[in-house]
Amino acid sequence: MTDRDQKQTDARNAGDRLVLGHVSEDPFAAAFKATRMPMIVTDPNQDDNPVIFCNAAFLRLTGYSDEDVIGRNCRFLQGPDTDPDTVTKIRDAIDVGEDVAADILNYRRDGSTFWNAVFISPVRDESGKIIYFFASQLDFTNVKSREADMAAARHKAEEEVATQTANLRAALSARSLLVHEVDHRVKNNLLTMASIVKMQARVTKDESNKRTLMSVLNRIEALSTVQRKLFTLDDVSKFDISDFIRELVTDLVGATGRRDIRLALDLEPVHVPAVKATPLSLIVNELVGDAVMRGLDDGGGEIHVRVRRPNGHYVITVEDTSVPVAVDPERAEFSKMLLEASALQLGARIERKFENGRTIVEVKLLVDGNQEHAH
Amino acid sequence: MKVMIVEDEMLLAMELESEVELAGHRVTGLAMSRDQARLELAAERPDFAFVDIHLQDGPTGIDIGRELAEAGIPYVFVSGNIRKIPADYAGALGAIEKPYTMNGMKNALSYISAIISGDDSLEPPASLVLAEDVAVGSRS
Repeated sequence: MTDRDQKQTDARNAGDRLVLGHVSEDPFAAAFKATRMPMIVTDPNQDDNPVIFCNAAFLRLTGYSDEDVIGRNCRFLQGPDTDPDTVTKIRDAIDVGEDVAADILNYRRDGSTFWNAVFISPVRDESGKIIYFFASQLDFTNVKSREADMAAARHKAEEEVATQTANLRAALSARSLLVHEVDHRVKNNLLTMASIVKMQARVTKDESNKRTLMSVLNRIEALSTVQRKLFTLDDVSKFDISDFIRELVTDLVGATGRRDIRLALDLEPVHVPAVKATPLSLIVNELVGDAVMRGLDDGGGEIHVRVRRPNGHYVITVEDTSVPVAVDPERAEFSKMLLEASALQLGARIERKFENGRTIVEVKLLVDGNQEHAH
Repeated sequence: MKVMIVEDEMLLAMELESEVELAGHRVTGLAMSRDQARLELAAERPDFAFVDIHLQDGPTGIDIGRELAEAGIPYVFVSGNIRKIPADYAGALGAIEKPYTMNGMKNALSYISAIISGDDSLEPPASLVLAEDVAVGSRS
């Protein structure tokens, strides 16, 4: 008889003694054998704590036969990928005679693996001595693989998010670089255009030509001021017409050096869609320019500019005390064309009236919800 | 006053030069890069300078600005992107944003020339962003 055979015989005898300790109708023994929960009993009083009993569920789970199992330490369930720390944890608990629950990767007879939620508990006799260890197994491979799938899916999703975020960041930074570059070029080109016209005006000897060039320069510079005021609000799709007017008017009147042209500004911040900035600014430029021009001819006066937003509409009023004087018809015609084109562009109404020596021009811009969100 | 112009676009620099001279000042030199600006500075000390931020050799206008401030020469930045100016304004009086208008530049020049000659009774024009206002704005 080999050592292995001897051991198996000893183990089987111990198992038989255990079973014989219970009458055959013992419901506990019957339940143990019949339960679908895989269970084994080991005997720590034999060499290497061999399995002395296992139920059918255990054999089904592991693919071993009763012959294979009885008399062996249950480490035969371990394999190359079993976590050594878990094995140590179980062994340490058995050494000190304590309950232990662990999740361990075990191997079947055919080499396939399963995740085993093992629970091991010592069984003591009346004197408190450990006579058996009872171990139950639960195959939770499905749960584990679902967990692994979910973890892998999560990991993949996180990677995907990280990649997309990096792409978006790069695209955003490229876009913002482009916007700055374009804005810079537009500004530079406007200033270059203005400089070319100014240079031409400087070398031109003919006063009438010079006036024409300065008139062109004035409109280019209105656009320059618009460009400077774009993208300055937190909402870059909006343009503060009051801020524009303040700068346009104070610069214009300041540069005349005329103290007899007095300025009264009554401007509440009014944010118009940026798409309206250019035509609206051209209108204001014409009206204020006209008032200042007449003030220069007339010997001063007061210019009052008011911006209001009643009922969601925009109302810009330019009022001055200068006496209407005959102006250069060519200049007046050109100004009228710019006003009409800009008013048509915006769907704005411009009303001009003379009252008690005052010229009052009111620009009414009805806010159309569609236009408001057009850009 | 004697004015130095640091600007990498020669057309804009020359046009500004005309504007400055028309206002009765003298231009000591035009510089398109940091090195040129240093040479001009070594040749003649201006009373005041206009400094663009982006020059032919990069954003070196800031360096020139700091050198001017160290030498005690007042200056303003002239730039299309005044938000790029460092928080301390590199010692500049302020900034004129491009594209400036003829009137805006005229008014800024009158104000600066008054300040430099010791007359601080004038109102600063809308075209000139003062460094001290920016500093107050960022503190509040």
